[in-house]
Amino acid sequence: MIWRWISGLVRHRGVRLGATAGGIAIAVALLVSLGSFLAAAQGSMTARAARSVAVDWQVEVQPGAKPASVRDLVRNGPGVLRSDAVGFARTTGMSASGGGSAQTTGPGVVLGLPSTYRGDFPGAVRTLAGSDHGVALAQQTAANLHAKPGDLVQIGRAGLPPVSVRVTEVVDLPQADSLFQKVGAPAGAQPSAPPDNVLILDSRAWHALFDPLSAARPDLVTTQIHAALNRSLPADPATAYTQVVGAAHNVEARSAGTAVVGNNLGAALDAARSDAAYARVLFLFLGLPGAVLASLLTAVAVAAGAPRRRREQALLRARGATGRQLLRLAAAEALLVGAAGTIVGAVAAALIGVTAFGSARFGASGADATGWTVAAVLAGLAIAGLTVLAPAWRDLRGTTVASGRAALTRRARPAWSRYGLDVLLLAAAAVVFWLTSRTGYQLVLAPEGVPAISVSYWAFASPALFWLGSGLLAWRLADLLLGPGRRLLGRGLRPFAGSLANVVAGSLSRQRRLLAHAIVLLALALSFAASTATFNATYRTQAEADAQLTNGADVTVTESPGTSVGPAAAGTIAATPGVRSVEPVQHRFAYVGADLQDLYGVRPDSITSATALQDAYFQGGTARALMQRLAAQPDAILVSAETVKDFQLSPGDLLNLRLQDGRTKQFTTVAFHYAGVVKEFPTAPKDSFFVANAAYVAQRTGSDAVGAFLVDTGGQNTTAVASRLQARLGPATTVTDIAHTRATVGSSLTAVDLAGLTRVELGFALVLAAAAGGLVLALGLAERRRSFAIAGALGATPRQLRSFVLGEVLVLGAGGLVTGGLAGWALSHMLVTVLTGVFDPPPAALTVPWSYLAAVGATTVAALAAVAAVTVRIARRSPIAVLREL
Amino acid sequence: MTGDTAPAVRLGRAEHEPGMLAECRDVARTYGRGPTAVVAVHGVTCRIRRGIRLAVTGPSGSGKSTLLHLLAGIDRPTAGTVEWPDLRDRATEVGVVFQGPSLLPALDVTENVALPLLLAGEPEDEAFRRARSALSRLAIDDLAGKLPDELSGGQAQRVAVARVLAARPLLIVADEPTGQLDHESAERVMTVLTATADELGAALVVATHDPFVAARLGQEWTMRDGRLHGAADPDRAERNGEAK
Repeated sequence: MIWRWISGLVRHRGVRLGATAGGIAIAVALLVSLGSFLAAAQGSMTARAARSVAVDWQVEVQPGAKPASVRDLVRNGPGVLRSDAVGFARTTGMSASGGGSAQTTGPGVVLGLPSTYRGDFPGAVRTLAGSDHGVALAQQTAANLHAKPGDLVQIGRAGLPPVSVRVTEVVDLPQADSLFQKVGAPAGAQPSAPPDNVLILDSRAWHALFDPLSAARPDLVTTQIHAALNRSLPADPATAYTQVVGAAHNVEARSAGTAVVGNNLGAALDAARSDAAYARVLFLFLGLPGAVLASLLTAVAVAAGAPRRRREQALLRARGATGRQLLRLAAAEALLVGAAGTIVGAVAAALIGVTAFGSARFGASGADATGWTVAAVLAGLAIAGLTVLAPAWRDLRGTTVASGRAALTRRARPAWSRYGLDVLLLAAAAVVFWLTSRTGYQLVLAPEGVPAISVSYWAFASPALFWLGSGLLAWRLADLLLGPGRRLLGRGLRPFAGSLANVVAGSLSRQRRLLAHAIVLLALALSFAASTATFNATYRTQAEADAQLTNGADVTVTESPGTSVGPAAAGTIAATPGVRSVEPVQHRFAYVGADLQDLYGVRPDSITSATALQDAYFQGGTARALMQRLAAQPDAILVSAETVKDFQLSPGDLLNLRLQDGRTKQFTTVAFHYAGVVKEFPTAPKDSFFVANAAYVAQRTGSDAVGAFLVDTGGQNTTAVASRLQARLGPATTVTDIAHTRATVGSSLTAVDLAGLTRVELGFALVLAAAAGGLVLALGLAERRRSFAIAGALGATPRQLRSFVLGEVLVLGAGGLVTGGLAGWALSHMLVTVLTGVFDPPPAALTVPWSYLAAVGATTVAALAAVAAVTVRIARRSPIAVLREL
Repeated sequence: MTGDTAPAVRLGRAEHEPGMLAECRDVARTYGRGPTAVVAVHGVTCRIRRGIRLAVTGPSGSGKSTLLHLLAGIDRPTAGTVEWPDLRDRATEVGVVFQGPSLLPALDVTENVALPLLLAGEPEDEAFRRARSALSRLAIDDLAGKLPDELSGGQAQRVAVARVLAARPLLIVADEPTGQLDHESAERVMTVLTATADELGAALVVATHDPFVAARLGQEWTMRDGRLHGAADPDRAERNGEAK
């Protein structure tokens, strides 16, 4: 009997079964493709974290221990591939003569690197000028000493006579922070700033100069063993972190106190595991609502055929079928649609994987693939059970044969409506949102050095409650419009339905439960599409802002230290094909008290022609207002919040900085007045810095030397333009483009290819919105073909039949679009606020993807219009022919 | 849809016999095509005059319903012609009582009764006034605000009759109006139908396989295998119509 029933269902209820299986397929495909993508993304986070580290371990040899024995210990440590001994010696200062003046620096560090070091740790030292061996000066030191390759530099040694070395190159130390870390500092300790002055010698020369110092002042000389580890790490950052930290502990335990491990790889993985936790949060925020929506769509598709199913059940019961037999039939139907939906969904997920992520595998490992396949099957069957089997069971328990045969009867308002659940949910969302705001929206807490990560899933509650509350509120509003507002609706429909308007309104009113369901579903789909699209667009904008902050502009031309290029050179750059505008930015070093900070001199009137300044980068005014203040008051200066706090500054306060004079090469005092706070600025570091008026700085220092030129290409062909500029300006100038920077900066979360994820998610949102409108309407109208046929037989003209269909389409379309749009707008704000921690820098405003939203709206309207057109066409057929088919 | 492609139907005729409401000439109706085609009505010629009380009987599947649908103009013949010489607006002047449930489930009883009038362009107030009046005349005005699914089978058929009465047609075509009713309900529905036809002076054609119903109508045509047989001889039928 079951086979006969299933075969009959497939032949006669194919559309409804297909719609149900389609809803399940969407849910399965969405869950599996997002889930497996995020599993793979975690693997790429681990790989990226590992790539970002130049030196995996810095093992410090403790006083009294022999460097050679510690090196042997490290070399035999778990997973260690290469190791080198590095000498650290403190110098009392350095000095250089040139250009008719002598420059002297404060204390610094002299490193001793073996000749194999740069090969073993290729990311640790980067040559900016000169040959790549011999005596190297760090970039800032070269600027301080005004030294270049070929110059002599004198190194001071405490208690010993100074020695002179000839500089052969100027280098950048990209990971100076970790290189000069205080190894063994307790977890949570403030990181120590790297030394302002660094000079690098070959190991042999270093030992010749500093072994005597080590003998006299062992406190000034240390040795570290730098190690590179095997990078075959577990895909999950948290597991990889645990493994790497365990290996470091193993070395420390075996060293018996002679070595302390500075675990750079562990620290990078520590940050990555936070990002992995954020990725899971994103999955919850962006993936689950889509799956819930697809499940609701399935439920509504099933509900559209519920009256018919009840009649069929009633008929079977009247013919003697038992409840158990009916449940078996429903279970068979659920199994059929569940299996079909799961298979289609899994195949769709694999296809999505191939097209969007380049892999059909569900996840990075075999375990992931198995896990997500099992999850797909369970999800598909669960949705089928909930949407097909559960309503059938409920009907069997709650209806009689007679009531089961009734298609449309009056029903009381649902209990949730009487108790105001929608308002309660919205109020609860507001309360949770407020409570979350008190913690500063820190959803992920990963204390340094502690394996456990705390994720505040609680924050997920506020958007979820709001989403559900707004859906129920949409139901209430639809119910109000179609019930008590029926007369008003009739008046609104009069232009389309003429004298039939009130009858059409009455007809809609009697079907308001089904219509309200459709409106809610459409509203939820649209709000999901709008909020995720807005979140994604804002995320993309901020990731781009992050890249632009780091690189400075589409292309940035950085002048070598020691060179003096004026703003006039902008003309050469501007003449390069692809360049739209060029903006010079001065880069100086300024002492505020004893603290040395970067100072950027800008042309406030034109800086935004080459780079974007967001209001979020500043405090005390908008970007435009603060630039106007710098233009109007040349001695105005923007400082970091930390400096404001450290020096107790108030707006208008005098701030005396010491800057190097271009004529005398001596530091001279320049007076500024504090005008506002700058938190971020293109090319500026993350820590403290100043932004001032370039003309004022040039006038007071006698030098208009430019540090970098920001180049705007309109976002087009940045790599090609950078290549042209590099060829034109020569190797002494550093040219970087935003495409390269985009690939190298940012957290591992931003590094994950969210573009593929976004495409997939927005594609699903589009499908869900179209399905919510079109499919639900189509199923509802298909159920009412008999009504249209009878109306046709009673003399209804095609225009009159159209008015019935149009009435439904208008109410559904307008109701869904308006409530969905409003809920989407509010939800977007809520999502972006709650997920503040994901953004770097935090956004000042939402980026609204109008073109995508217009596409969603147009697709929904098109789906509704297509269904309406097909229905009208069907309604125009001979009514008797239609009635014979039913 | 074979039936949609043969528009051999015509309203009003310049020269015709007075009182001639419907006329079928060699009418055939075939459903489907090829080997699965079903000939529901085959070569039927007949006339329906004003005031006739006619039962069309015959076994299930004999073509009774199809013939009535063709007479009502809600289906089109695949061959032959159907004309309504004495009708100006077929949609309003032919009332149909369908077999089985024929009320729109989303409309209440009053709206269902008023619907044909509204579809014919009657002003809303007038349509509802006539609907209420029809319900009142059939003594079912207590059902006015109910939904079709809240009615019994007999009540639903009486509402369907009220829908016909409200439209005041000249030809009433009822397809098995008592087919799903018990004897008592069937009696009541037939009483209402004949009384309505009497009141309007309309022709009443009822398809039925119930001999008691046929007996109440006085005249009887029989359909078998899509053809009119026996008493349904076209000439005799016509004479019967005239005699009435």
